[in-house]
Amino acid sequence: MGHGDEDMVGRGGQETVIQLSGLRKEYAADGRSVVALDGLDLAVCANEFTVVVGPSGCGKTTLLYLVAGFEKPTSGRVLVRGQEVTSPGRDRGVVFQDLALFPWRTVLGNIAFGLETQGFAREEARQIAGQYVHLVGLEGFENAYPNTLSGGMKQRVAIARTLACEPEVLLMDEPFGALDVQTRHLMQEELVRIWEAKRKTVVFVTHSVSEAVYLGDTVCVMTARPGSIKGIVDVSLPRPRDARDGGVLDKRAEVLALLESEVRKTFALGDVERNSPDS
Amino acid sequence: MAARVPALARVVRFVLPLAVVTVIWQAVVSLGFVDSSLVPSPVQIARSAAALLYPRPLLFQYLAVSLWRVGAGFALGSLIGVSLGVLMGSSSSVRFALKPVLDLLIAVPTICWVPLLLVTVGMGGPTIIIAVFLGCVFPVTYTSMNGARAVPRDVVLAANAMGAGRAAVVLLVLVPGALPSIITGLRLAVGYSWRALVGAEMLAAAASGIGYMIYAARAFYDVNVMFVGLAIISVAGLAMDYMILGAAERRTVQRWGMVTKTW
Repeated sequence: MGHGDEDMVGRGGQETVIQLSGLRKEYAADGRSVVALDGLDLAVCANEFTVVVGPSGCGKTTLLYLVAGFEKPTSGRVLVRGQEVTSPGRDRGVVFQDLALFPWRTVLGNIAFGLETQGFAREEARQIAGQYVHLVGLEGFENAYPNTLSGGMKQRVAIARTLACEPEVLLMDEPFGALDVQTRHLMQEELVRIWEAKRKTVVFVTHSVSEAVYLGDTVCVMTARPGSIKGIVDVSLPRPRDARDGGVLDKRAEVLALLESEVRKTFALGDVERNSPDS
Repeated sequence: MAARVPALARVVRFVLPLAVVTVIWQAVVSLGFVDSSLVPSPVQIARSAAALLYPRPLLFQYLAVSLWRVGAGFALGSLIGVSLGVLMGSSSSVRFALKPVLDLLIAVPTICWVPLLLVTVGMGGPTIIIAVFLGCVFPVTYTSMNGARAVPRDVVLAANAMGAGRAAVVLLVLVPGALPSIITGLRLAVGYSWRALVGAEMLAAAASGIGYMIYAARAFYDVNVMFVGLAIISVAGLAMDYMILGAAERRTVQRWGMVTKTW
């Protein structure tokens, strides 16, 4: 469990890290059974930035929680490095939609949490956490409590806290959804910078097509509920990307074309929720 | 954030209304609107308090005994209540087993336990401490349980994903996460403790404690001493709440933004 990034060299080969096959997930809600996912297959390659987009309620978060091991599939398999996922594990870090920071811990304390549970002595944990404070640019706020931070800063704490556990896979559930447009764009740039420094396998869920195309190596478009993968758009464009660049616009159009009919189905389901896909 | 009120101003704000009430009270009694042998004036009460302090500091002795009893019962009840409550909040099987018992016991007025304790434990300090314990353990358990259950699922999942096992989740996430509720429960329990104490001391104290003092004064029609007792209890309860729990609340959950400031 080294704490350098010497073991993350470049964009590795095409080895599969996450393998989802025939995934089905049913929930009991108000006595009815709701099928969130059905027949979902997906393979995620090492060190790749995979973005999952889909209409609201299509099961994006469910997909992420299954990989995280928070929930078990009704049928089908979730494999990470060939091992069946049965519980949460430190190899898979999660950044939550609502951040889920610990309000009773300082910035440093939040980042050190995973190190402390891992058995690092308090001082050592704090020292390592300090490096992650630096990575996300929060120097000077080590002893601040989350309630005193701005949305973007809280975001950085959440990312640093997850990275400090040195997970192989980073699972991000619409982490920038609550930010204002400018902060959101800054955080996207930050994330790309951090990802390029740390080279993790990322699965990033969002409902924003422009965010997907800005961030992803591949963009997976999900169907309306029950969710499965409708199509995958390969965005092999150099970074940093410019939203007005022709190539980016083409990819965006490609994703939107896949998504549009699914969004219409979601509307037809009467499932118009807070986050309809923006473009 | 509201402008911080200077300490002196806050003291004045608290004391001034009390001073006004005291002056009016004194005037009403002095002018003969009420019978001073039934409702003594503040001056009479102060004289009576002085007589309890000199030549023998009886009042302090009684207060010390009562504080020990209320402190011991409260500490025991809080410790067990918080532990039990957080466990009940963290595990549905523990909750299913204990919740019905808690629901029944929380409805029992504490004073009802005292005759039973008099038979089983007997007169004196232990019975009173157990009564105080019973007075606060159930409400503290209840609020702690609710606090632990109110910790958002994602916060627990985040801890799980960072490698926290069951014990770490309980100690490092559920206890601090439940703290706003726990502190509210403890503040309520301070009040319950004093109620239990005074009730139990009236029935079970042989010769000491503030509750005993109040109750014994009835034999001499000594209304003044009763009022001295009332005043002591209200001030001691307030001090316990403000200086210990209020301070704890300001330093923890308020600072962390988990509860809003009330002033």
